[in-house]
Amino acid sequence: MTWWSLVLILVWLATFVAGQLFFKRAMELSSVTGFHNRKTIAFLGAGIFSMTISFLLNLGLLQRFDLSYLYPFQGLSIIMIGLLAAAILKEKLTWRLTIGTLLITAGVVLVSMS
Amino acid sequence: MRDRPSGFGNPWLQLGLNIICVVLYELLLKTGAKATADLSQTWSWTGITGLASPLIWLAIVVIILDLMIWLYVLKYIPLSIAFPLSRVVDVLVPISCWLILKEEISTLRWCGIALVIIGLAIVARPAARLEERL
Repeated sequence: MTWWSLVLILVWLATFVAGQLFFKRAMELSSVTGFHNRKTIAFLGAGIFSMTISFLLNLGLLQRFDLSYLYPFQGLSIIMIGLLAAAILKEKLTWRLTIGTLLITAGVVLVSMS
Repeated sequence: MRDRPSGFGNPWLQLGLNIICVVLYELLLKTGAKATADLSQTWSWTGITGLASPLIWLAIVVIILDLMIWLYVLKYIPLSIAFPLSRVVDVLVPISCWLILKEEISTLRWCGIALVIIGLAIVARPAARLEERL
């Protein structure tokens, strides 16, 4: 793997995680103010933009690498989303949830590496 | 979690539908991407050449449907619970390959599947508590 591929994989992950956080924030706002709110639309738009970039990068990576090679990296997104949901969205991250999330991540990595 | 709709609008049922959509589009994307990998060396890193495949467009339709379902799920379930639960696809795909396609699963892979299932069971507990608070 070249450094360029690593950069693409990192950007793919970062845009995916950011997209999920934007979507969650948009849906939180929509619960309070509905969809006729500029902020809701902005977050939704940012989420869709972020996810589109992530989708295209994923396609490009799939053309070069096996799905089983890329999957462990996707496993990392589970931890990143858990941590960032707690830090940015102020979701409650209990010990139980943290341990469960870590086990799922480890399992996903193991399944795709074997 | 706000007032939860019941029946077809149940967010947990919708999370299940989301998982089915993800399995479907992952398979479509991989097949489509493989078919178009050799179209252009210059542009293939952007993934844009994948758009030449009808399978990719079908995958895009499923992704848009899945996105609407996912946004609905996020309206009711915290991201830190919904996202790990949605990763059940990572065991569903190898298990269905084993059951339907009769593919071999190595011991290491079975260990990984077991870890994911234990992790899901642990995450499901906070999810159940969330349900009780309704």
